[in-house]
Amino acid sequence: MPPRTNGLGIMPEDTRICVVMVGLPARGKSYIAQRAQRYLKWLSIPAATFNVGNYRRENAPRPSADFFDTNNAEGERKRRAAAEAAVSDMLKWFKSGGVVGILDATNSTKERRKWVLERVSAEGIEVIFVESRCDDEELIMANIRDVKTTSPDYVGQDPDKAAVDFRERIRNYEKVYKSINDDGDEDHLTYLKIMNVGKQVFINRIQDYLQSRVVYFLMNLHIRPRSVWLSRHGESMLNLEGRIGGDAALSHRGEEYALKLPELVRESVGSDRPLTVWTSTLKRTIATGRHLPKHYNQLQWKALDELDAGVCDGMTYQEIADQYPEDFQARDEDKYNYRYRGGESYRDVVIRLEPIIMELERSEDILIISHQAVIRCIYAYFMQKTQEESPWVPVPLHTLMKLTPRAYGTELQTYRANIKAVSTWRGKGSTAKHEDPAPEGGI
Amino acid sequence: MDTLLTAEIAANAPRYRRRSSTQLDGIHDVSDHQNNLAPAQLYSTMSGRLFHSGRIAIVMVGLPARGKTLGVKTRIFHLGDYRRASVEGGQVPQDYFYPNASPASLMSRQKILKKCREDIYAWLNHENGQVAIYDAVNPTANGRLALAKEFAKHDVQTLFIESYVDDQEILKENARNVKISSPDFHGMDPDEAAKHYLKRIETKIPVFETMEEKELNYIKMINAGRAFYYNNVSFNYLSHRIVFYLTNLHIKSRTTFFVRAGPAADEDSFKADAPLSDEGQAYAQKMTDTLLRHREQERQASIEQGGSDAPLRPLTVWTSTRLRTIETAEPLKEMGYKVRQRSEMSQINPGVCEKLSERAIRALYPEEVEKHELDPYHHRYPRAESYHDLAVRLEPIILELEREQNDLLIIAHESVLRVLYSYLMHCSTMDIPKLKFPRDEIIEIIPAAYQNEAKRIHIPGLDPKTIPGSPEDIRIPVPSEPGANLPPIPGMNGPEPSVEFIVTRPPEKIVNKAAEMVSDKVADED
Repeated sequence: MPPRTNGLGIMPEDTRICVVMVGLPARGKSYIAQRAQRYLKWLSIPAATFNVGNYRRENAPRPSADFFDTNNAEGERKRRAAAEAAVSDMLKWFKSGGVVGILDATNSTKERRKWVLERVSAEGIEVIFVESRCDDEELIMANIRDVKTTSPDYVGQDPDKAAVDFRERIRNYEKVYKSINDDGDEDHLTYLKIMNVGKQVFINRIQDYLQSRVVYFLMNLHIRPRSVWLSRHGESMLNLEGRIGGDAALSHRGEEYALKLPELVRESVGSDRPLTVWTSTLKRTIATGRHLPKHYNQLQWKALDELDAGVCDGMTYQEIADQYPEDFQARDEDKYNYRYRGGESYRDVVIRLEPIIMELERSEDILIISHQAVIRCIYAYFMQKTQEESPWVPVPLHTLMKLTPRAYGTELQTYRANIKAVSTWRGKGSTAKHEDPAPEGGI
Repeated sequence: MDTLLTAEIAANAPRYRRRSSTQLDGIHDVSDHQNNLAPAQLYSTMSGRLFHSGRIAIVMVGLPARGKTLGVKTRIFHLGDYRRASVEGGQVPQDYFYPNASPASLMSRQKILKKCREDIYAWLNHENGQVAIYDAVNPTANGRLALAKEFAKHDVQTLFIESYVDDQEILKENARNVKISSPDFHGMDPDEAAKHYLKRIETKIPVFETMEEKELNYIKMINAGRAFYYNNVSFNYLSHRIVFYLTNLHIKSRTTFFVRAGPAADEDSFKADAPLSDEGQAYAQKMTDTLLRHREQERQASIEQGGSDAPLRPLTVWTSTRLRTIETAEPLKEMGYKVRQRSEMSQINPGVCEKLSERAIRALYPEEVEKHELDPYHHRYPRAESYHDLAVRLEPIILELEREQNDLLIIAHESVLRVLYSYLMHCSTMDIPKLKFPRDEIIEIIPAAYQNEAKRIHIPGLDPKTIPGSPEDIRIPVPSEPGANLPPIPGMNGPEPSVEFIVTRPPEKIVNKAAEMVSDKVADED
């Protein structure tokens, strides 16, 4: 029996891309870089960010604004050295199998961009510049307050003073800042210019599919406040029997959860504003959402259907262990890549969820009612769980999760309905039955 | 075939089949009784519209609308057709196109405009249309602002798309390609037509203003896709899809080959995912030999005709993650060809129909069969996928296919080939479930300037058992029609010629008439 795993989900072939951020400080470059990295890693594309500021801090931990004055030779030398160090580390990382490297720095002059382009493309790596431009003072100030006053550069300083110093630092950059192709002599570059958080976008010379994916993802990002709610369906008749898959109706307790859900959601939302509800096409999720208020729009996505267990659909773990002992073992060893005979792996589910994630990034408040494996994959995207962790994340029945994206990372709140349900969780390497997750494993 | 949207609105992306003016595009031409559903729509609502997107008018600025339109209910409204239809004998007064036309001409222009826009509102409001493509030149900023305002009054969002070209090479190329075949010039002496044509352009160019209106939603495609500018005041879902689609369009002269996977050992189980049988192994080898020989012959033929003797374009192979397709690619892999597995390309999931005979399905699920017969493209058996589900799942593959630069061999199940083929060759969704891909043929799809061409290359020496109706085919009953094995593709009838050399049938479909479209466009005015 050949191994029932596939290779990489998205195989970017031989393309390696260096995403070079461009823009003044406090324009959300790090935010964009971090989101892009999270998205790519979720899709199993090796991605890493190289922040020049972190390299600079090793030699100049807490510089004042005049360090960034171009006439300050000492500052100039140290900043240049930091860029050198970041780029050479990035190139080393590419040699060890990196696919998308993100160089997070201001790269605000034509000379610096030319230097990066030459260094990186000499190694056969494609370069795409991503510039974030913003002239909306309010947005800039908000960004300065939120992020920069908590920056390691200003640890322990008076926030007001820090903000003043930081504005001064920005002014030093502004003196030399040149937006990409403003002089018309950078038209040969591949670049994406995002103005005022996506109000205007300019794309130049996108070459391949991976580049266009990254670009499309970045265009869908927005910073309007919102949350995503996740819930599994209520307990089903097959859950009661410990069987996986199937298309069963809700159990009595599952029905109770469906009745309780509107209240739980209202408590979590904190207002009457309507959510959009996405369910799978299976009976149990549709039934779970059916008591939600009429003014909530509901739609069914095939892509939210449960992981397809192939030949094991409708079996108990014990039956699987008896009939397919090797498979049972193999699944424990590499649950992320294990594909049920004639069914799917977690990796396959992630691939089919990609359009859902893209749509989630674009949307505002969404409530997703889906299934254990699917919720795990979506959860892994927001909470940055690794492939080793994500298939084992306990997602108990009759629990609502609220995910709220923040500048760095995602905030999680859980709401329990306090309606009993069977456990559908099984620990790695444990016996072939469902059990209660260890208390510390709860989410 | 895109998740929601397949807008080939790009200039110089001329795969176009224009059926008639106010027609659904070719792919999504559905029969009347299922008017409420658009193909490739992710979910269905009572109105047939996507509620989270709203109605949208795409307004072309200075470039022709292309067909093969959207995965939502879409219709193209060509102003030029309205003009031709409303003017006696198709002849318009000399000054019709001039900025300073006579009052009579102005009035007739206004009347035509009004009629076209009224039709748009009627269609969006009363026929559950979602996307209206308004195809006219729309040359002035003021005109565009007024238009957006007027659409907004009717609760329709407007997205302008402009093709902006300032590269002299592209301009020259376009001029060469545009033949003066517009109905306006029908029967006219070519020289005379050319004069009229150029004069018309001259009368327009002075008034044309490129888009810079900050308050409008627009996409400016610069120099045939080299760059894009988006002014996003309030882009919605569909606008975003259009953006992604446009950036992925790529006009390349590369070939796509389709073949079936070999027959499997365990004949009719979807879940078993069986390996190839012995016949399957033999098939994989013969298919490989035929394909490579064909590529080499084409190259030789091209050299003889004075073509370059450069080596062949590299060939990449895509398979699904099903064992049969992977094993069918094995001979090529051993020769060093790059093989990629794509889980999105798994065959259609038969759900409850697995391992059931058609008779059993009819007995067990009579209601489902009835629904299926009404709409074989959208209907989904319990736990199964519909062709529509499959098309949605394949969307990323289609976009990547547009981007691929190498020649491509796709080894997949017949159901997957049906969907991909229908995308490239513009078949109607209603025909998709019926397309046939016998195992003894390699399908070669060659993009040409204004038409995709498909050739079928015979694979000789196969066991006849393995050729027709695939053993691993899922026996989902399809509507029973007289002569149930309806050949959807001309030239597919009759016994296979059992000749021991490669038979290349003539191109089976000439699809696009974009040249006409482009020249036609020049005559449009508003």
